Amino acid sequence: MSTGLDQLQHIVVLMMENRSFDHMLGSLKAVDSRIDGVTDQLSNPDTAGASVKPQALAEFQGQLDPDPDHHFPAVDLQIFGGNAAADRQPNMQGFVKSYFNQRGDVQHSQKIMYYFKQADLPVLTTLALEFAVFNRWFASIPGPTICNRAFAHYGTSFGRVDMSPFDVIEPYKSIYTRLINANPKHTAKVYYYDTTSSTMEVVNLLQNQPELFGTYEQFLSDCDKGLLPDYSFIEPNYNDHETDSGEQVANDQHPDHDVQAGELFIAEVYMRIKRNPKLWANTALLIVYDEHGGIYDHVVPPPCVPDNFTASANNTGTGREFKFDRLGVRVPAILVSPWIPKNTVVTDRVFDHASIPGTITKFFLGDYAARSPREINADVFIEPKASPRPGSNLLSLNAMRTDCPEFDV
Amino acid sequence: MAVIHVPRPSKKKAMNPNRPVSSLLLTQVSHLQHAERRLPLRYRTEIYTHAIRTEGEAAAYIREVTEAIREAHANAAARRTGTRRGRRGLQIAAAAAKSKRKPARKKTVKSAKKKGPKKRK
Repeated sequence: MSTGLDQLQHIVVLMMENRSFDHMLGSLKAVDSRIDGVTDQLSNPDTAGASVKPQALAEFQGQLDPDPDHHFPAVDLQIFGGNAAADRQPNMQGFVKSYFNQRGDVQHSQKIMYYFKQADLPVLTTLALEFAVFNRWFASIPGPTICNRAFAHYGTSFGRVDMSPFDVIEPYKSIYTRLINANPKHTAKVYYYDTTSSTMEVVNLLQNQPELFGTYEQFLSDCDKGLLPDYSFIEPNYNDHETDSGEQVANDQHPDHDVQAGELFIAEVYMRIKRNPKLWANTALLIVYDEHGGIYDHVVPPPCVPDNFTASANNTGTGREFKFDRLGVRVPAILVSPWIPKNTVVTDRVFDHASIPGTITKFFLGDYAARSPREINADVFIEPKASPRPGSNLLSLNAMRTDCPEFDV
Repeated sequence: MAVIHVPRPSKKKAMNPNRPVSSLLLTQVSHLQHAERRLPLRYRTEIYTHAIRTEGEAAAYIREVTEAIREAHANAAARRTGTRRGRRGLQIAAAAAKSKRKPARKKTVKSAKKKGPKKRK
């Protein structure tokens, strides 16, 4: 029988910044016990020896200052709790200690455990409960933005665990190049917010292929005119700035930017697709965060297949080399489509950002050999039309839903 | 289903271009500087990035270099295709380059800050 998967023509990925699953969606455990969020059994020790529990006290802005450290050594501390033994096991007990290292203030360090109430985030929590929320979507690396975003574009970070510029190493190509060079040709675009916000993938994509990029205004127009490419990747506004049309508040949700501005942005993207009935019927939207930003999450990142690269002990800053054989901290991820059954929770399957090029490649191109081991082994969030695995198709309805939520944007 | 209200952030509270620049934006600046060094001289900004302290200053630099990269590629494409429109674009760009970029003027971050996207042909 035909399902929503057969209708799918466009995939849109919106990647936000620096918030963990528990911080944004942890409150939903109380609403639906299948969602692996916050419970009162969870805690982290502070540096004074007290046990700090997660509390629903997160604020939209002004609370996480300084920006919590999420570079490789700090995330190592957050995941392993400061244990340096050879046989150490991850325990997620080092978040408060890590934040304490930045300001030396015990009380302030406890704020890293705060999470949002469901009512604080009406957009993200509604979409999570209405469509498919992933319990096990992790950052690709226990490290910062640039290397994690690289996994979304290339399926690897080419051995980088830091924020330095990296070079694309053959034979791996970006997902955009794979699509536009395919026969038959596919279309792909990266929509940055505007030229003043620009992109986080400067050194390879913007510098060499600026024609791949459009603005958020173009995305809105492409939605209205039915001109959306097969694959779209949207970047939020990374900075506060002014334009002729007025003040543009950063909406990436990176601390210390306003979380409500990001909520509004997510709602706008969703509603723009939804308001074009033809597009709504044949588009899937993935909302995902690049990494946890140093903020508490309780789920231990699992080991994974090593990549073809090794980061040296010097590059990791931990005294240990890293073979890209463990995922980063868990992040919020939600798949939206009117063909997904309401209140779907993807409970046990493991995903990371390598799943993005992995899914897009398999869906549009089928077999494609020149991909990193991490990407080849990453699970896909949308099944290939030709060979969906039984029970894995999230767009499983055979009639489109008419009860999907609307936001006043 | 009822329409769900999305609270708007107070722009007055949220907007702060004078916020100290984050390490993420400084990284973006350094990547753009890496790209800027590969641009022909006439496209370069000469903004002193080590003096960038605020988000607004970073934003001004990010816009300048992003537009310059796009302009350099657009002009190269116009030359390659030799289209009528491209040639006209090239002439206009050349004239603009002459008036704006020669001689290269030193810019401080503050003088580079302008309202609105810069008009480029």
